[in-house]
Amino acid sequence: MHKLRDAPGDAEADLKRKLEDIAGEGKVYVLGLGNTDRADDGAGVLVATALKKRFPLFSFSEHDGVEGTVLDISEKDEDAAVLFVDAADLRAAPGSIRIVPKEEIRETEITTHRVAVALMTSLLEKAGKKTAVICIQPKVIAFRADVSAEVQGSIKRLTSVLSDVMSSRT
Amino acid sequence: MNELNVEALSRVEGDGGITVTLDGKKVKSVTLDVHEGPRLIEQLVKGMTPADDLNVIPRICAICTLSHRYSAIRGLEKALGIAPPEKAQLTRELMMLGENVESNSLHTFLLALPDFLGYPSAIAMLNDYGDDVKRALRLKKFGNHVMAVTSGRIVHGENPVLGGFGRYPSKKALEEIKLKAHELILDAVRAVELFASIEYPTYPEAETLFMSVNAPKKQYGFAGETILISNGKEVSAEDYKKLTSERVVSHSFAKRSLYQDKPFTVGANARLINMGKRLDGQAADLFKEHYSDRWLKNPLLNNLAQAIEMLWSLEHIPEMADKVASMDNPPIEQPTRTTGSGTGAVEAPRGTLYHHYDIKDGLIEAADIITPTAQNLDDIEKHMKLTAERMLADDKKDEEVRLGLEMVARAYDPCISCATHLVTLKRI
Repeated sequence: MHKLRDAPGDAEADLKRKLEDIAGEGKVYVLGLGNTDRADDGAGVLVATALKKRFPLFSFSEHDGVEGTVLDISEKDEDAAVLFVDAADLRAAPGSIRIVPKEEIRETEITTHRVAVALMTSLLEKAGKKTAVICIQPKVIAFRADVSAEVQGSIKRLTSVLSDVMSSRT
Repeated sequence: MNELNVEALSRVEGDGGITVTLDGKKVKSVTLDVHEGPRLIEQLVKGMTPADDLNVIPRICAICTLSHRYSAIRGLEKALGIAPPEKAQLTRELMMLGENVESNSLHTFLLALPDFLGYPSAIAMLNDYGDDVKRALRLKKFGNHVMAVTSGRIVHGENPVLGGFGRYPSKKALEEIKLKAHELILDAVRAVELFASIEYPTYPEAETLFMSVNAPKKQYGFAGETILISNGKEVSAEDYKKLTSERVVSHSFAKRSLYQDKPFTVGANARLINMGKRLDGQAADLFKEHYSDRWLKNPLLNNLAQAIEMLWSLEHIPEMADKVASMDNPPIEQPTRTTGSGTGAVEAPRGTLYHHYDIKDGLIEAADIITPTAQNLDDIEKHMKLTAERMLADDKKDEEVRLGLEMVARAYDPCISCATHLVTLKRI
């Protein structure tokens, strides 16, 4: 588990190396999930929104329609990796960042609101794309509350790491 | 006492469970337990202006966001004496068609279909039914797009306002929608074929009542001033309390509804039972082909109803887009009074949704929201109890009974979050 707050420099470099290993040489797409009405739960969307300024064709969020974006990427004839970013209860310190293995993603998460991340990663992998789910531990998920300082810091650091990974591949 | 549990019902929205209490093979009770905490939205909006209410109310649900917004708009416009221009009404109809495609595609292909094809989830279907999974995503993407074009965003769009629209869709966007809807009709036909080919179990079958709005001009649609009941009665939406008689139960955070002390169904099957003769196009042909008396007693057929309705929505989007594009953008109509009451009734994908408001001196004095799932809960329990009794009498294994009960609950496409996982089998 990555705890960027404890050793920011090393942890960021480690996270970057892992994401580069996952991404390979192909293009890198970021898909931010979550609900910005619920403070830290919107961390994934906030990361994707920040990256969209520099990578408008490679960074998407719930606001762009997740399923449609996944379907479009899956049908592109290119070497690509899709990195999902979402808030998740990692049972870790607020702001902790971790790449969650596919086996730990619940298939039953599928709801009437959005297609499950597990289904989207499966669909992408079946189409030959690489995938990873990056999770941020939230502190506050109250309706219309402010994003916590810990998660704000993590959003900033993860955006920086992803920007580095994407810039050499897009 | 023994229990058969579905502690966490998957493939539904929200947190709920099912508990079946058994005495030998005799079913003592079946309860759909809603674990979601109460939302208190009705209290939250007290004292707000109607415009502020519209910013809060759609947050009840991210999939029926436009149904909630539209129902609130209808109730508030009545209370404030606002007559929306024709273009606003048509654009609202268009957004509801989009929401219907978006929601019904997800529920039919990805939430309900795995049960009938013998897969644990849509993920497991990928190898054998990968094209259908992609169909679902294509249709959902398009439904989302129609919602975004009409309301301004995929979720919680702000364009539909009291008296009209903050911004109407462009002619170019409407033309694109029209062309894409034509392209996707075959995907919806596939959904109808799939759900018409299924052999639906008879275990849950029992007569019930079906309620839906009565769309104006004897057309099929998703909003109306009166409510049709399958017993032939028609009641003003303003009398919604007589239709729903809300009450609380000890095992659930969600309120319950009964009509004349009896459970009833709302949803796509109710709409087709009450208004199916008004369908046109290919949807009408397929409805005539596949409708039978079983629709009046088997809730599992709601899945087929949703597929037919999704096809109808896609067939109507081009016509509606043309109508909207042909009109000039009217100004927003203003309130003619600051005190009054009104009830909005619309058909969310999973059934009739009521929003009632009392407004005094421009501020909300009282709000009352009755969701489709809250209306369906008693009916779900009724059909689940019969399913459990009949399956156990047939010596079905506990795992089979669990699945049978989950299929019944999922067929109603419940949105538990809006109403406030799933089966526990208790043996005495």
